Amino acid sequence: MRRSFARHQTPFLLIAVLGLIALASALSDNDSVRVTLTEMFIRVTVVIGLYVFIGNSGIISFGQIGFMCIGAYAAAWATADPSFKQIMLSGLPAFLQDNQYPFLVAMAGSLVLPAAVALCLGAAIMRLSGTAASIATFAFLIIVNSVYSNWDSVTAGVSSIIGIPTVAGPWTTYIFAVLAVLAAYLFQISRFGLMLRATRDDEVAARASAVKILRMRLAAFVLSAAIVGAGGGLYAQFLGILTVDPFYLDLSFITIAMLVVGGMFSLTGAVTGVVVVTAIVELLRLLERGVPAGSITFALPQGSQEIGLGIVMALILIFRPSGLSKGREFAPFPAKPAEVASSPARLPLAGEPERATR
Amino acid sequence: MIQLLQNLIDAISLGSIYALVALGIGLLFGILRLINFAHGDFITIGSYALIVPSADVTARLLIGAWAWPVMIPTICLIVVIVALLTDALAFRPLRRASSPTLMIASFAVSYIIQHGVLMAYGSRPKAVDLWSGANTQVLIGDLRVPMLQLITLAVTLVLMLAISLFLKKTSYGVQMRAAAEDFRMAQYLGVRGNVVIGIAFAISGILAAAVSLLYTTQSGSLSYTMGVPLALFAFVAVVVGGMGSLVGAVVGGFTIGFIVTMLQAYLPPDLRAFRDAFAFAFVILVLLVRPAGLVPARSTFERV
Amino acid sequence: MLVEVDDIHVRYGDLVALRGISLKVEESEVVCIIGPNGAGKSTTLAAIAGGVTPHAGTIRVGGQSILGQRPEQVARLGLSLVPEGRHIFGTLTVEENLRIGGYIQRDRAAAKADFDRLLELFPRLAERLRFPAGRLSGGEQQMLAVARAVMTRPRLLLVDEPSLGLAPKIIDQIYEILLDLRQRVKLTLLINEQSSTRILKHADRLYVLRGGRMQLEGRAADLQDGEAIRHAYFGFDEGQAARMETTA
Repeated sequence: MRRSFARHQTPFLLIAVLGLIALASALSDNDSVRVTLTEMFIRVTVVIGLYVFIGNSGIISFGQIGFMCIGAYAAAWATADPSFKQIMLSGLPAFLQDNQYPFLVAMAGSLVLPAAVALCLGAAIMRLSGTAASIATFAFLIIVNSVYSNWDSVTAGVSSIIGIPTVAGPWTTYIFAVLAVLAAYLFQISRFGLMLRATRDDEVAARASAVKILRMRLAAFVLSAAIVGAGGGLYAQFLGILTVDPFYLDLSFITIAMLVVGGMFSLTGAVTGVVVVTAIVELLRLLERGVPAGSITFALPQGSQEIGLGIVMALILIFRPSGLSKGREFAPFPAKPAEVASSPARLPLAGEPERATR
Repeated sequence: MIQLLQNLIDAISLGSIYALVALGIGLLFGILRLINFAHGDFITIGSYALIVPSADVTARLLIGAWAWPVMIPTICLIVVIVALLTDALAFRPLRRASSPTLMIASFAVSYIIQHGVLMAYGSRPKAVDLWSGANTQVLIGDLRVPMLQLITLAVTLVLMLAISLFLKKTSYGVQMRAAAEDFRMAQYLGVRGNVVIGIAFAISGILAAAVSLLYTTQSGSLSYTMGVPLALFAFVAVVVGGMGSLVGAVVGGFTIGFIVTMLQAYLPPDLRAFRDAFAFAFVILVLLVRPAGLVPARSTFERV
Repeated sequence: MLVEVDDIHVRYGDLVALRGISLKVEESEVVCIIGPNGAGKSTTLAAIAGGVTPHAGTIRVGGQSILGQRPEQVARLGLSLVPEGRHIFGTLTVEENLRIGGYIQRDRAAAKADFDRLLELFPRLAERLRFPAGRLSGGEQQMLAVARAVMTRPRLLLVDEPSLGLAPKIIDQIYEILLDLRQRVKLTLLINEQSSTRILKHADRLYVLRGGRMQLEGRAADLQDGEAIRHAYFGFDEGQAARMETTA
């Protein structure tokens, strides 16, 4: 039992840390703290979803937020008020329009629909080289945005879907974050995950065993989409109002930034990144609002938040490309090094020559 | 028949713009293996440099009001300076970084530039009147061809010819081609890496400036995300055309222009809003058949 | 002393390639480094040429340290690398390949003169000036790689495994050319090879590298019987050999 814990300590530790944060939020009376922390747990789910694909396959996907959009709308279609749906979303199939489903059904939908889309899309693009695949995911993001913005009968187009029951609070989102941690962990220690990671660093070797890599990447892509979609479902049922706007470049950037800052190649990195970047953004937001110092208020100009985050991201890429977690899992308890299920392959850091000719 | 020809001309004109953007992106990819997400934002900067910085909805021309022999080089200079700055600040420290890292870094640069523009100019799209006099039509036989489209095509051909001559005939051009094929080896032979990369960014900047002028004249409006769809179509064009191949980038640009225009013309009206989704689906189909692109580079940079 | 390498250590991430290599090359010498695959020969040449930076140790050219300089700067000091596998620019023509080396020269007329002279030395290349270099045969590519490097007017030519993948007759030709160049343009040569037989005839001094360490150094004249070289190359020491005999 002890050995088993030592071997798999990382997810438990992460869950515990997040649990402490959840506790802090429950104890706090401050509504805006609760809101911030709920959003943070949603982002933890989303960024873990990103990590499942990016961290294991080494391919950067700029489009996972597209799956968040799909998942969010799936949840909205399930739980929004039928009277609203019958007027505004007349394009929806009857079983959605006429009914209002409970939270878990909505969450199931927000897991399954993005996964299905990912299966189709992934089957097509996983054959591409890493760079080309990344571009394809970027295109996917734009396309989802375009389709959802224009498909008025099903998504209300550029107006909002309102009246979604807001049942997702800090504890609900915490639980889903925990589930995401477990799902991601189980994947990365599974055969699929380990094989995928081992070939991550060397695309040439990967292509030499083409077929298997395809399936593994696809598996990671689909699981990633499901987790990110679930994040979307939580988002819709946290906010109560849904539009297409948030699911675009800015959110894509922030979530990727969180993953990069924490460290792309470890689960610890994904979680750490969300917490740290949330803190940084909150700090910048505070500075934008203005900090009174004596008789003057010192305030950063509007928009510094975003530029500040961009600069932080660039600095991390230059000076600490493997992120705060350095690509390793958080495993402070003594265990034989080979036992701790962290990333097996050594990662080439950004400062090193990739190949002898470069 | 006339309609078809009209559509073809539209396609070529749109394809020219995409080809120019794709060329800028392909050039940097060839030398640095960098997909520059910020390229679209270089275009945005070129366009916004035309107006007075303010959050007004109706923009007042600043540099845009100057006579064109002064305005065009000025805009080119501004964009080139921005391009060189991004290289010096963001990409030079990452010279030996992996492709994914470079991509994310350029994504960060893009984000920073977009929000910088947002801060200076506000989020609302602006109307701008640049050379609206060029929006006349020329009669060729039975065809009405917008003058602007002819200008676009002409500019594209001239720029491509110029770049082609530069790469083939000048010493820096040869050095760039060598560096694009084998950067380290070129260095061993004395080719100055940073100079060659700087030239690539500069040319990329000039291309972006040209697109910003052409596009702004055509669309008459500015928004801080205006570069995103252009860049996106150009990335897709580069992938479809064949990564690492400049000819491929141009072919890809015209192909995408063709697909988008034809979809716009021939899709049933209620599906037209989904034109981009269809274009994307079509591209996926092409890639399923030819994952290396239509004109794969003779020396692929992800060499096996 | 032309080049002096002092106790350099080179790492590729966690992989240690060189563990304290020292060597020197004097003007006009032909020095050879031999060793098995993976010994670190290529890394040594790459380090001297500026392609990789040792994290410890120094490299001096004419007394000045060149550590940390970029390859294009080292090339301007007169050190030119002909790498393993040739690395010619396949999409450029033969002529363009040659001209690249010449761009280092400020004096265009001098570069042109070099170009013409090299074409006399390499008639096969002169015949194929307009060909894409990728279409040349292995031997022709090796010649092109050498000629191209010579266009940079080097004082020292670093040649990494010139015989790799070539037929013996072609290898002889390549060596003939290298030694001929050495006479004509006062070139110093530092050559990597896996096998010592051919090079022993031509080299002044020899280094044997194995496992990232220098195992042996000496004058070629003293090492003619090959015994010491074999020991250094294959890694048997006297004790080991003796133990193997007793257990056999």
